[in-house]
Amino acid sequence: MSTPTVFVVEDDPKLNEIITITLQGNFEIESCTDGNHAVERLKQIVPDIIVLDLNLPGVSGREILKNIREDERLVNTRVILTTADERQAETLTNEADIILLKPVSPLQLRELALRMSTKK
Amino acid sequence: MYTFTLNMLPLIISAFISVALALYTWRNRKTAGALPFSIMMFILFQWQTSYIFQLAGLDLPTKIFWGNIMFIGVVLTPIPWLIFALEYTGRKTWVNKWRLALLCFLPVITIIVIFTNKLHHLFWVSQTLLREGGFLVLASVNGSWFWVHAAYTYLLIMTGLILIVRTLLRWPVQYRGQMLWILLATLTPLIANAVTIFQIIPIQIDLTPFAFAVTGIGMAYALFRHRLLDIAPIARDIIIDGMKDGIIVLDAKRQIVDINQAAQQIIGSYGEKQPIGKPLGDILTQWPELVERYREVLEAEDEISLGEGDAKRWYELNLSTLKDENKLLLGQVITTRDITERKLAEKQLREGEARFRQIVENASDLIYRTDIHGYFTYANTSALHAMGFKSKDEVVGKFYLDLTTPEARHKLKRTYQHQFASKTKNSYHEFPGIATDGSEIWFGQNVQLIYEGDQVIGFQALARNITAVKQAQDALRIARDQALEASRVKSQLLSKVSHELRTPLGGILGYAELLQGNAFGELNERQLKASKEIVESANYLSDMVNELLDEAQMSSSTATTLSERLFSPFTLLQQAVSGMDIIAQKKELEFSTTIDPTLPNEIFGDDRRIRQIIINLIGNAIKFTKEGSIHINVLHPDENSWEIQVIDTGIGISKEAQSYIFEPFRQADDAVTHENRGIGLGLSITKQLVELMHGRIILNSEVGKGSTFTVLLPIIKGLE
Repeated sequence: MSTPTVFVVEDDPKLNEIITITLQGNFEIESCTDGNHAVERLKQIVPDIIVLDLNLPGVSGREILKNIREDERLVNTRVILTTADERQAETLTNEADIILLKPVSPLQLRELALRMSTKK
Repeated sequence: MYTFTLNMLPLIISAFISVALALYTWRNRKTAGALPFSIMMFILFQWQTSYIFQLAGLDLPTKIFWGNIMFIGVVLTPIPWLIFALEYTGRKTWVNKWRLALLCFLPVITIIVIFTNKLHHLFWVSQTLLREGGFLVLASVNGSWFWVHAAYTYLLIMTGLILIVRTLLRWPVQYRGQMLWILLATLTPLIANAVTIFQIIPIQIDLTPFAFAVTGIGMAYALFRHRLLDIAPIARDIIIDGMKDGIIVLDAKRQIVDINQAAQQIIGSYGEKQPIGKPLGDILTQWPELVERYREVLEAEDEISLGEGDAKRWYELNLSTLKDENKLLLGQVITTRDITERKLAEKQLREGEARFRQIVENASDLIYRTDIHGYFTYANTSALHAMGFKSKDEVVGKFYLDLTTPEARHKLKRTYQHQFASKTKNSYHEFPGIATDGSEIWFGQNVQLIYEGDQVIGFQALARNITAVKQAQDALRIARDQALEASRVKSQLLSKVSHELRTPLGGILGYAELLQGNAFGELNERQLKASKEIVESANYLSDMVNELLDEAQMSSSTATTLSERLFSPFTLLQQAVSGMDIIAQKKELEFSTTIDPTLPNEIFGDDRRIRQIIINLIGNAIKFTKEGSIHINVLHPDENSWEIQVIDTGIGISKEAQSYIFEPFRQADDAVTHENRGIGLGLSITKQLVELMHGRIILNSEVGKGSTFTVLLPIIKGLE
C-alpha cells in the first residue's frame, strides 16, 4: 500500500508550511496557495485528503469544495475544511468531512488525517 | 179599424223624442243613472205608442186591448224612475236584486188585475166609448185597485222627485238651470196625470202621455244643454269635496259660487259656516292683508301662512280666471294646497344642513370640493388656513394642481384621472402641496367621487396635514437604514477581525506545537517548557478570541439567530460530553451522565447552540473543581420542558458573586487563580443563549461544597 496523499490548499504561507511539516512524515504532500491553481491541479491528481482553506485568493474554498463534490473522480477524497469564520463554516457542515476552526492545532490535524486515511 | 188624426201629432213627436232619448242614453248606459233613464224612456215610448193606437182605435174592444197594453207602461214607469233617482243621487248601492223584486211586486199584481178586469172589475168598474174633442176616447170609471196602483205610483215618483230636488239644492248655481229643466220634465206629466185621474178638469182624455212631450224636451234640453248624464254631478260631489286641496269658485263680482269641503274647513275654522253667495272679502275678515293683497289680482301663485304658533299652516295659493268662449271674465278659481308638512321638512332640512355645514366648517381636517375638472368649489376654514388663504373667494376657482409642488403634479394628475375613469369610490394619497407663502406641506387625503345620478360631477376630499408625520417617517427611515448599515458593517468587521486574529494565532500555535513535537529537531528541557508555555498561551488567547467574538456577535441582535431543527437529545448529550470526560479524568475527577429515557427522541431547537451551552458549563465545572465529581443530569420534568443539570463538587460561588456572575466580563473574584482565569464571558453568553431559546438558567451553589447549574428549556409541541 502506497503512502496516502494530501493536497494542502492554504494561502497563508506560514500555515501552509505548518500543515505540510505536520503531515509530511505520514503522507505524501502537495500544496498550493491560491484557488485557481488548486482547481487546475485537481483536474490531474486524485488526493486521498484535501486540507482546504475557505478564504482563498482566486477561486474560493467554497467553490472548490463544490467542484470536488461534483467530480466523480474525487468521490473518495476526504475534505478537511479550515476556516477562521465560524458562521461560514456552519453552512458547509454537510459538504465537508471535517471542519476545523482556526487556529488549527497541528497535533489534532495529524490525528484526524491519520484516522481518516486508515479508516478508508 | 184605426183612424189617425192630426191632433195625435204631439203624441207621435213626443214618442219619437222618447225613443231617441232612450237610444242615446242606452249608448251611454255606463254613466250613473243612464241605464234606468234609458229603460224609463223605452217604457214611456211603449206607453205613448200604445196610447196612440188606443186613441186611433175605432171600437171598444180595440180600445180596451190597447188600453190594457198601455197600462203595462203606466204601471212600470215609476220603477226605473225611482232607480234613476237613486243612482243619480249617489245611492246606486241601495238597488239590489231583492229590493228590485219587492218594487216590482205590486206592479206585477196590478198588471194581472188589469188583464183579468172582465172577471172582477176591480181595476175598472166600467169602460165605455165617448167622443170628446177630436178624439173618440175610452171613458173608464176607476175601481178600487186602480187607486192602490195610483197611490203606489205616486209614492215612488214623489220619492224619486224628493231625492233629486234635495240633491239639486245642494248644487252650485251653475247647475241650477239643469235642475229646473229636470223638475219641469218630471212635474209636467205628474201634474197632467193628477189632472186626469182626479178629474180636476172633467175630461176623459189622458193628458199624461201628451205631457211626456214636455218630459222628453226637458230631459233632452237638460241632457244636451247641461250635459245632464255626461257629467253626473254626483261625480263633482265625490271628487271636489273629497279633494284635499281647497277649491273656491268666485263669480265676476267675487262672490262665492262654489266651495269644497277642504276650503270650507280652512275658512270654517275661522269664518262663517255658509259662505256660498257671500262676497269673498266678507268671509276672509280674519286676513285683511290677504284680501288687500289680491284685491286687484286675477292670476297668482303664492305661498301663504294662516294662523300662528303651533296652529300655523302653510298653503300654496293658486288664483286663476274662468272665462267664457268670448274671453269674458266669468269668475275666478282659488285653489289652496296644504304644504305645511313640506314646509316643516324643508325647515328641518335647512337646519340639518346648517348643522352639517357647521361641523364641516369647524372640522380640524381639511375638507374641500372641486368640480369635475379639478377647480375648487368649496374649502373649509382648516383648508384655507393650511394653505394660507384668507377667504374662500381666493381659493374657489383655482386649479388643484396649482397648489401642489411641480414635481408632484404629474403623478397626482394620473392618480385622479385613473380614479375618475375607473369610478373608484375612495382613494388615499400623500403628496406635497405649496402654501401661499411658498412653504411645502405634506397632505394625506381621501378623495371620493361626487355623483349626481350616474354622473360624476366632481371630487370631494378629506385631507390632513401630515408634514410632521412625514418628517418623522423620514427620520425613522434614515435611522433604520443607519442601523442596518451599522449592523452590516459590524458583521463585516467581526468577520475580518476574526480572520485577522485567528490566522496569526494559527501560526503561533502551529509552530509552537511543531517545536514541541520535535519537528525542528530535539529540544532541551527548558526549550520544551518554553514551547509548552507558548502553546498554552496561544490556546488561552484563542479561547478569549472565541468568547469575545461570540459576545460581539450576540450583542448585535440581528447577527444572532437560532437555526432550529429536529435533533435527538440523547445524541446531543453524547457529542457534548465526548472529549470533556477525557479532560475531567486527566484531573482525576469522577465524570458521569444520566438521561431520562422518557424524553422524546426528537426535540426541535438549535442543537449546536445547546451543545455550546453544555460544553461551556462542563468546562467551567472542570475548571473550578479540584477534586470530587462532575455529574450531568438530563431530566424531563413535564411534557413541555426538559432540563440539563451540571453538578460539581467544586469551590462553589458566594452569594455575592451569584448576583453578578452572569454579567459579561465578570468572574467570581475570589475563585480566580492563574490556571482558571478567563475574561468572564462564558456564563454571560450561556445565559443569553438560553434566554434566546425562551429558557431559564438557575444557579444553586454553596461555597466549598459545589455548584449546580440548571438549564430549563421548553419542548415545542407538534413537531415531534
